[in-house]
Amino acid sequence: MSSAQSIETRSDLESLARVWALSGPLRGKVAAGIAYKFLQSACLGIAFGAVIWSVSRLAEGEALTSSEIWQVAGVMVLSLVGQCLFGFLSVSSSWVASYETAGRLRLTILDHLANLPMRFHLSRHQGDTVTALTADMETLANFMSDALPRIAQAFGLPVIVLVYLFWQDWRVGLVALGSVAVALPVFLWSSRRLARLGIRRQDMQAHAGARMIEYAQGIAVIRAFNRLAKGEESYRSALKDFRDISVKMVIDLTAPLVLFGMVLMLGVPVVLAISGSRHIGGESDIGNLVSCLVIVFALYAPLLSLIGVMELTRIADASLTRIDRIITARPLPAPALPRTPDGFEVAFKNVSFSYEPGKPVLRDVSFSVPERSITAIVGASGSGKSTLLNLVARFWDVDDGMIQIGGSDIREIAPEDLNSHVTMVFQSVYLFAGTIRDNIALGRTGASNEQIERAARAAQAHDFITRLPDGYDTEIGEGGSTLSGGERQRLSIARAILKDAPIVLLDEATAAIDPTNERAIQQAFSELVRNKTLIVVAHKLSTVRNADQILVLGDGGILERGHHESLVDAGGLYASLWERWTSAADWRIGA
Amino acid sequence: MTLTAEADGSPQQIAGSTSTEQDSQTAPDYFASLGLIWGYLGASKFRMGAAIVLATLATACELLPVWAVYAVLDAAVAGTLTWGFVGAQSLLALVGVVVGGIALGFALGLSHLVAFDAIHRLRLDIARHMAKLPLGYFSRRRSGDARKLVIDEPEKLELIVAHGLPEGVSALSMWLAVSVWLFAVDWRMALAAIFVTPVSFILLFTAMSRSSHRAAEYQQAGARMNASIVEYLAGMPVVKVFNRTGESLAETSNAVRDYTRVETEWARDYIPLGGSFYTLVLSNVVFILPIGLWFVSTGSLSLPALIFFVLLGANYSQPLLKLFNQFHSLAHISMGSTLVADLLAEPPQTDTDQRVAFPNHDIAFEGVSFGYTDQDVLHDVSFLAKTGEITALVGPSGSGKSTVASLVPRFWDVGSGRVTIGGINVRDVGLDQLMDTVAFVFQDTFLFSGTIADNIRFGRPDASDAEVEAAAKAARAHDFIIRMDKSYETPLGEHGAALSGGERQRLAIARAILKDAPIIILDEATAFADPDNEAAIQEAIGALTRGRTLIVVAHRLHTIAPAHQILVMKDGRLVERGRHDDLLSGDGLYARMWTDYTESRRVTYREASDVGQLEPSP
Repeated sequence: MSSAQSIETRSDLESLARVWALSGPLRGKVAAGIAYKFLQSACLGIAFGAVIWSVSRLAEGEALTSSEIWQVAGVMVLSLVGQCLFGFLSVSSSWVASYETAGRLRLTILDHLANLPMRFHLSRHQGDTVTALTADMETLANFMSDALPRIAQAFGLPVIVLVYLFWQDWRVGLVALGSVAVALPVFLWSSRRLARLGIRRQDMQAHAGARMIEYAQGIAVIRAFNRLAKGEESYRSALKDFRDISVKMVIDLTAPLVLFGMVLMLGVPVVLAISGSRHIGGESDIGNLVSCLVIVFALYAPLLSLIGVMELTRIADASLTRIDRIITARPLPAPALPRTPDGFEVAFKNVSFSYEPGKPVLRDVSFSVPERSITAIVGASGSGKSTLLNLVARFWDVDDGMIQIGGSDIREIAPEDLNSHVTMVFQSVYLFAGTIRDNIALGRTGASNEQIERAARAAQAHDFITRLPDGYDTEIGEGGSTLSGGERQRLSIARAILKDAPIVLLDEATAAIDPTNERAIQQAFSELVRNKTLIVVAHKLSTVRNADQILVLGDGGILERGHHESLVDAGGLYASLWERWTSAADWRIGA
Repeated sequence: MTLTAEADGSPQQIAGSTSTEQDSQTAPDYFASLGLIWGYLGASKFRMGAAIVLATLATACELLPVWAVYAVLDAAVAGTLTWGFVGAQSLLALVGVVVGGIALGFALGLSHLVAFDAIHRLRLDIARHMAKLPLGYFSRRRSGDARKLVIDEPEKLELIVAHGLPEGVSALSMWLAVSVWLFAVDWRMALAAIFVTPVSFILLFTAMSRSSHRAAEYQQAGARMNASIVEYLAGMPVVKVFNRTGESLAETSNAVRDYTRVETEWARDYIPLGGSFYTLVLSNVVFILPIGLWFVSTGSLSLPALIFFVLLGANYSQPLLKLFNQFHSLAHISMGSTLVADLLAEPPQTDTDQRVAFPNHDIAFEGVSFGYTDQDVLHDVSFLAKTGEITALVGPSGSGKSTVASLVPRFWDVGSGRVTIGGINVRDVGLDQLMDTVAFVFQDTFLFSGTIADNIRFGRPDASDAEVEAAAKAARAHDFIIRMDKSYETPLGEHGAALSGGERQRLAIARAILKDAPIIILDEATAFADPDNEAAIQEAIGALTRGRTLIVVAHRLHTIAPAHQILVMKDGRLVERGRHDDLLSGDGLYARMWTDYTESRRVTYREASDVGQLEPSP
């Protein structure tokens, strides 16, 4: 992970370029925001101009007339009005541009996510995607509204001041520029160092964090086994590691940043010495001296704020990286000339597949499931049972070989068409916020209330639904948490029954639930699969006794195949599984 | 680590610290974070003081170059400028820059060290405190909360200790010093220099309050967008299978658009006044110059004094702006600190620390009632689980089985009645001894990162390799362990081997076997097993029970049918009890559950296939 991250680390300039690219159609507004900020600085420059003009006039011994004072006051007011106006315009453009960019990017990414294969969604933490769309996007917006204009501001006044200094006395200008020229490499060096160390600290933090979380999550076990001392020890060392790396980082980082500030500000004594001595040497007049010295602080102070920008860039860069990981993911290739399946037979032809290169899950697997027959898949955990179902639904694409439905390679069937042929019931149930009716209706667009109720009855759900205070209009909370596991499962089956797709993929849940719910779910399943082509990953062997075909999976392939009786007679792996399944019923605890 | 950044705060950033609390009834404690971390500064208080002094010194040093420039200009205007004077003043400025830089470096370094130490102590204390809380406290929390309380919130305190305290104090002293100095030189000019500062702060507060009614709407839009995105992603497989990406996307897109709209409107409300603040607050020079020129022309102000005000007054608001930003982050961080403080204030579980001699290990519940909140979930539960016997708890989901089991090792304390072991109230037994006496196998198996052997040995740290292996064999885990790449040394955890639910449960059982405790409680310990594993686990549990008191919570009724005593629970009450055969003939809840159970084990997907059975392929 750390190596991948360091590859993705950008320099500050590259991050800026990426932000620019992402702002797309809103670039005009972003640029306007920066330009206005620059003009705001220029207006501030006018005020300094007035200061220099009047102070050097006075220094040269010329008194100002009252009309001149009024003029100065007028210029100052003008400068203030200009600053306010351009400040307002700048903030308006850059804030609105950043919010709109974030909104537009969110919509683009949401759309993109829907087109990405399930492979993408299932192979990463869902939380990472949520973070990218919410917090990371917020960071990006803040960077655009805050950091970009600040860079303009940091350089705006100094550029004007430098030009002025060169015009006044090129030697002083050169000296003043000198400290900036020395400080900038220090800045770039510490910026890169900060980025590199930042990644290392993030890794360390993630690692130590994981151990701290483990302690917090495992505290029940730690206490149940009276191992507080041991638990605390690992926690303690995680904390210590984290503190130590943090201390090292501070020492590593404080030095270059303080150095940058110091080198920059050294310009002040140098300019003071040079312009002072040139004045004594008669090479510059008093007005010259006054203007150089009054303005010298305006040169360096804004540049100091670049330190803050560096920090913001680093934070934004981490967010950009996470956002880019989504943007650059590729959707499944869609067929150029979609084919229509002829019938509902499912066939695996020499299918090989692996989630990770070098770790094959399925090797050269072939079998066929005739229309309206039942195929049960059994085998040890990790043998690839659920993988078979995921491949049929095209959550992943096969590495080798092909899967056909009705004689057509599923990769050549239009995705909507494939979807309408296949329904899948997952191990874990997911219900959406909304009413029970909405959740069942998800199965078919425009389903009537009668159809929904019929599906619910078939799924053994109608009775418990009508017992709820609002019946079918009962709102279910986030994740449907007010219902029991068995009830949620039955709603998800009702949804699948309503969809009425000819091919059913069923992944039986392994977790035990109470017998009454269990029985209802079995009945619901029986309704769902009536007259369908069914592929079921079975954990309760009793349910698949009557299957037309049982496939025993193991070692990446099909170890045994046949129907129940023939497999039991064959005396192989299935026979021993069956033996254990039936003998479990006779088992006596501790007897 | 964060380096302070002064920014044009957006209304969301500025209001973020105050708006969320408008919903809650209690007034927010803006200084909660200071209060929390103060107690953990401990011996570092001296170093903290040093950091503050150094930071103040650094700010004072910032004034030296200003003074030097002023002094040179003063002399030049008077025409008394000499080489030596320029040299001395340049040196003074140089010293200011160098000493200031070094002081700042040391101040930051010190304050960070103090921060890391204090946070370290705080985290240790959190860990120690968590260990003393009733275990039930954790079962009600999501694991994300642990992360927030142990990592994220304490981490934010770094900003306060490492930056807030030293920079806040130095900004405050800088502001005071400059104010006094300005007034000492010329009170009229001082007023001219500073009057725009309060005016601009009034503008800012007006802008904030004028747009604050949007805060609630903004929070809601944000919450709606987040929830919508979470749901959109979590439901992705379902949405795809049911071809509903369009509808699902539409709702989420609306939430995103709405959020952008609210955000933009808020900004538009806030910008005219709030945006002007950042310009005005730094525009002191605009007022200093014309007024100063006027006084000069009337002869009541010298040119050097004017220059002094131009140099020093121009940045008058800077320290206040810094202070404002520090306060802002303080208020923001304090929200989270309150959560940590609440955790630390949670009363620890009472512990007598006594060792007692149990005459036997019979477990008795005597009129036990219990509720997680005000509402009781157990009502007057009484039973006796005898040593050497198996007591099974069965019943529909939510009937209180697991709750009963969790009261024995005091994961919770009873509301009324009592739980005894060998006649001794579990509350009178020291927690250490109680934990040694009870082995509890949880429904959700938690394994630690580390090797398989480490995890089993967790049951008894001094167990030999042979004992670990024997426990694994008894738990029917040995076979799958030796099939793994590194056998017992296979690492588990984030980057380690992935185990199935059944395999994890067998490791947990091996752990419990190795512990060799006289009381064993299995809370749906086979719930995730597939048939192959389940049979193996049942054999393993059989090996566990001899001579011990065993309490089993289970849904798969055949696993508990042979128990010496079956307790049937419904809605928090014990409704039936007895042996399997007696309960079956009783025709009550258990009999109905048994029928359902055997039925569900008989159901097949199709009674007779329409297409006939396939011949095995070659």
